[in-house]
Amino acid sequence: MRCEEKITNGKLVAVEVWSSGGTVSRARITGDFFLHPEEAIDAVERSLEGLPLSAGEAEITARIRAALGGSELIGASADDFARIFRKAVG
Amino acid sequence: MNWRIIGYSENDAFMNMAIDEAVGESVAAGGPPTIRFYGWRPSAVSIGYFQGLENEVDLARCRELGVDVVRRRTGGGAVYHDNAGEITYSVTGRTGLFPTDILASYRLICGWVCDSLSCLGIDAEFRPINDITVGGKKISGNAQTRRNGVLLQHGTILHSVDAGRMFSVLRVSDEKIRDKMIANVRERVTSISLQKPGTSKELALHALMRGFTRGKSSGPGLLTDAERGRAVELVTERYGKEEWNRMR
Repeated sequence: MRCEEKITNGKLVAVEVWSSGGTVSRARITGDFFLHPEEAIDAVERSLEGLPLSAGEAEITARIRAALGGSELIGASADDFARIFRKAVG
Repeated sequence: MNWRIIGYSENDAFMNMAIDEAVGESVAAGGPPTIRFYGWRPSAVSIGYFQGLENEVDLARCRELGVDVVRRRTGGGAVYHDNAGEITYSVTGRTGLFPTDILASYRLICGWVCDSLSCLGIDAEFRPINDITVGGKKISGNAQTRRNGVLLQHGTILHSVDAGRMFSVLRVSDEKIRDKMIANVRERVTSISLQKPGTSKELALHALMRGFTRGKSSGPGLLTDAERGRAVELVTERYGKEEWNRMR
């Protein structure tokens, strides 16, 4: 499952999701956005593992925000990541 | 603060990225803030930290043309670095030398690029997040990272554009889209040569040197043996490794 979006006044974000038994087994976020520190993307992707595919955008956003902690996203936001993830899983 | 200015030299893609990181480590350890100008030999594609390698680059075409491919430590997009048509800079300094706000720091350093282009009679402006444009067309892309109290920003300045070659190495599956992209890039991208025909790379480098050093205490310098040695290690440990370049 994959969804890609060019954020208005921002960067391109693509979310790929692999699932097993109705839950997320792996998520990968790619694109030309910026995130300081860069390694924080690993925590964001891990935070999505185990999520039911039916999870709502609010829950997804909360997980992403918690994983980002004090990291700074430029050209995209936690809300963007969550929305595109939601679209990817349908 | 006395800036070290390292004049233009050419290295392969892996060494270029390794030198930027090695200089960052040396700045973190108390070394001088550094501005470096460089080129890519052979021509190369660099991809942003978060980009998928296979999604962005036609690896078979790169092999065919002898174009190296490396993942940067900075975010942003895929860039084709033509050996003849492009100049890259890097700025490395303690974060305290720059605005805390990331966009403001892009604006500051991109301002040095604009000042340089102004020396050539080219009226360029910073276009957030990380571009510099002339008459609405992109002439420079820039990318920044901050770690261990050090800011690294590197960016490219187009001296001449070969859109056909640029898009033959970047992955675009549909031939129609490829044609559209090339037309698009011709409309949206410009270069020093297009703006001021006949401007040599040497003259462009001279202008960059002026624009980047204006108002600063600075002096010419070289990489130290320790930095060069560390860069060689980083090529082996990171930039030359499949695990790094295929990480996403």
